[in-house]
Amino acid sequence: MADRFTRVKWTVLALLAAGLGTVPVWGSDYAILFFMLFCIYLAMAQMWNLLAGYSGLISLGQQSFVGLGGYTVAVLSSYYGINIWIGVVLGGLASVLLALFMSLFIFRMKGVYFAIGTWIFAEALLVWFSNWAYVKYGSGLFIKPTNEISMATIYYAAFVVGVGSVVLVYMLLRSRLGLGLMAMRDDDQVSATLGVEVFRSKLYCFLISAFVTGIVAGIFYIFQIFIQPYKAFAIDWTVKLVFMVIIGGIGTIEGPIVGALIYVLLSQFMAEYFSVSMLVLGGIAIVVILLAPKGIMGTLQEKLGFEILSPRRY
Amino acid sequence: MEGLAQDILNALLLGGLYAIVAIGLSTIFGIVRLVNLAHGDLMILAAYLSLFMASALGVSPLLTLVAIIPIMFVIGYVLQRFLLNRVLGAEMEPPLLVAFGVSIILQNFMLMTFTPDARSLMSDLSLMTFPLGSNLNIPILYLIDFCIAVAVIIGQHYFLQNTYMGRGIRAASDDKYAAELMGINTRNTYAVAMGIAIMTAGVAGVLVGMTFTFYPHSGPQYLIIAFGVVVIGGLGSMKGTFAGGLILALAQILGARVFGPGYQLLCGYIVLLIVLAVRPQGILGRG
Amino acid sequence: MPSDTALDIERINVFYDDFHALWDISLKVDKGQIVSIIGSNGSGKSTLLNTIAGQLNPKTGAIAYFGEAISDLASHETVARGIALVPEGRRVFPRLTVFENLLMGSYPPKARKNREQSLENIYELFPRLKERRNQMADTLSGGEQQMLAIGRALMSQPKVLLCDEISLGLAPIVIKDIYQKIKQINAMGLTIILVEQDITRSLKAADRAYVMLEGKIVLEGAPSELTEERVKEAYFGI
Repeated sequence: MADRFTRVKWTVLALLAAGLGTVPVWGSDYAILFFMLFCIYLAMAQMWNLLAGYSGLISLGQQSFVGLGGYTVAVLSSYYGINIWIGVVLGGLASVLLALFMSLFIFRMKGVYFAIGTWIFAEALLVWFSNWAYVKYGSGLFIKPTNEISMATIYYAAFVVGVGSVVLVYMLLRSRLGLGLMAMRDDDQVSATLGVEVFRSKLYCFLISAFVTGIVAGIFYIFQIFIQPYKAFAIDWTVKLVFMVIIGGIGTIEGPIVGALIYVLLSQFMAEYFSVSMLVLGGIAIVVILLAPKGIMGTLQEKLGFEILSPRRY
Repeated sequence: MEGLAQDILNALLLGGLYAIVAIGLSTIFGIVRLVNLAHGDLMILAAYLSLFMASALGVSPLLTLVAIIPIMFVIGYVLQRFLLNRVLGAEMEPPLLVAFGVSIILQNFMLMTFTPDARSLMSDLSLMTFPLGSNLNIPILYLIDFCIAVAVIIGQHYFLQNTYMGRGIRAASDDKYAAELMGINTRNTYAVAMGIAIMTAGVAGVLVGMTFTFYPHSGPQYLIIAFGVVVIGGLGSMKGTFAGGLILALAQILGARVFGPGYQLLCGYIVLLIVLAVRPQGILGRG
Repeated sequence: MPSDTALDIERINVFYDDFHALWDISLKVDKGQIVSIIGSNGSGKSTLLNTIAGQLNPKTGAIAYFGEAISDLASHETVARGIALVPEGRRVFPRLTVFENLLMGSYPPKARKNREQSLENIYELFPRLKERRNQMADTLSGGEQQMLAIGRALMSQPKVLLCDEISLGLAPIVIKDIYQKIKQINAMGLTIILVEQDITRSLKAADRAYVMLEGKIVLEGAPSELTEERVKEAYFGI
């Protein structure tokens, strides 16, 4: 019985993934845009969830990596004519280096201080880039790929990273690192005495999240074509990620998937009413935290034992 | 070297303003272990309310404080009593995220209601200065900010040290269970503490609105200032709050002097990050 | 309908979420008595005290305090009526002084009016506290903190004093001193319930004793009736 469920489960998932992977083939332009955004937000949300839901690190500063990833691509393509995809990867690497530097400061901080530390770094970057002649101050930069890039190509890149992020998190949690993380999530100090390297595990997750976020931001900005500091380093990115993960279900792999879907749907719906949509999102998130703190997938898991992508070992 | 003395004088007075910006955040963090991410936005809300009242009634913004103070107290009380109390618990994330949600809601609400235009609580005081000696001028507005800040902070300190309710707040923050055994209704106590914190935030907001221009999204920058003061000066100490305000203001003003006005905020951030990394309990904080 | 029975607990069942902590507990304490409740860790003794004090409420059953039903009241309401709990582990407020700690004990309005007099009485009972009244509570020794916790509870002018493991972690000579004070407090007219793991000490002090095991009362009687043998059997569930 359980076996059949497993087989059905994996078949359905494979079909969904295949459907998602072929959108440029069967979908309208609008569908391509919709699912591309979904994949991009999915990757970022998975990373935020990896930090907050599994490593106990609340990051209010993922936008640091978004901005850095985007600007790397912009600078390399605009000024030096480097291949756009190399730029994307370098954006990811630059983000890792930034994360490493940040960790020197913020990994000394606990809990709330850590969260605000990440935010302050992002704000500092915002100010820095706004005042930097090299990137044309606040007026922003264009992303100029050396050859023409089709929407489909961008989409496939987003798809790979989006689904890849889910696979990455899944594999990570099934690994030794993951077992340690799940122990840490429950009790930091006890797991430390058991030999779990708390500090190292958290650092790895932080670096990984920086890398993926940086890369996916690069892809996003290839699509956007234009980047500006006040948007790229804005707290808005974190706001969206927080809401996606909280509503979808923090600490579950499926949560960010559901959350990203809901967010993209909502933002399409309420495209003209940006402020109202943010307000509504904020209100929903608060209600969710109060009434169903585990989010949609988390509550389903708890009440019905319903886990699709479980990293548990039996 | 010219202008340095003036800069330092300005920083001194501005430090007082920063201190009152921070005191609300510090109080709540020290007592309920909650970082009110909506702190800055509540300040700006008060500024808008004051703007509305001042123009409707044709009075000076300072006068609107008479109404703003009780209004903000009630807002803080209600916020804590009916929303934040529910998420207080062992974990740090839910209150943080709820406060974050409130912050976003407030900012967008203000954006929709008051439009994104820059605003200011202009008054005759804005441009007046008072000469001190031959080289210095005291901006009257900064001086008023400073004096009100000192009065509010000392007043709050006295309240917490010498009244039953104040001691009750401190007791409830030390040991909630034991406090309840004393007959302290901790749900009410926490709400009162938040009421006080938001009340001071309201005063700070009006002062800030009189001193600088503000937008619906100005909240977070003051939250960061508040946080900076708390980190640099340490929690739970009145002297620390003033010291933190002063140091932060100095860092900003001197930074702007050396590197240029665009780097004002950045210098503040850098000092803050360094203190966070090297001495997280603050320069005057208890280990 | 007021009565002379300080506490009349009838078949209460108390739960922590789904965990059934107290099973059909019934207990009667007359005015002016000292009652001992003995049991090992996890037997439910602290839960019982917390329930009487109002930190927890029983799911079924009733608690009457001098005839008044109090099972649904919260702690701040029971304190106002005259039930004070000296919590396990003392739990003085570390960042307040001795004086401020005592002052906190007189938080309820009625107690607040008489606080000067209460303070006098407490300083007489515990002269050491008077000496140290401006010191921070976390600088006191264990024994002094215990005295402070008791003094603080007394500031609310209770009629019933609940003591949760007041001998925990203290040297025998200090414990002896504290139990003497308990006798003095009882002589002043207070009804006292002592919860202890130390069998001998609390049996000596009490008028009546109860032994608890796993949330149930397994033995009760006057200390003269209870041999050490029987108590140990009940305590360990043999």
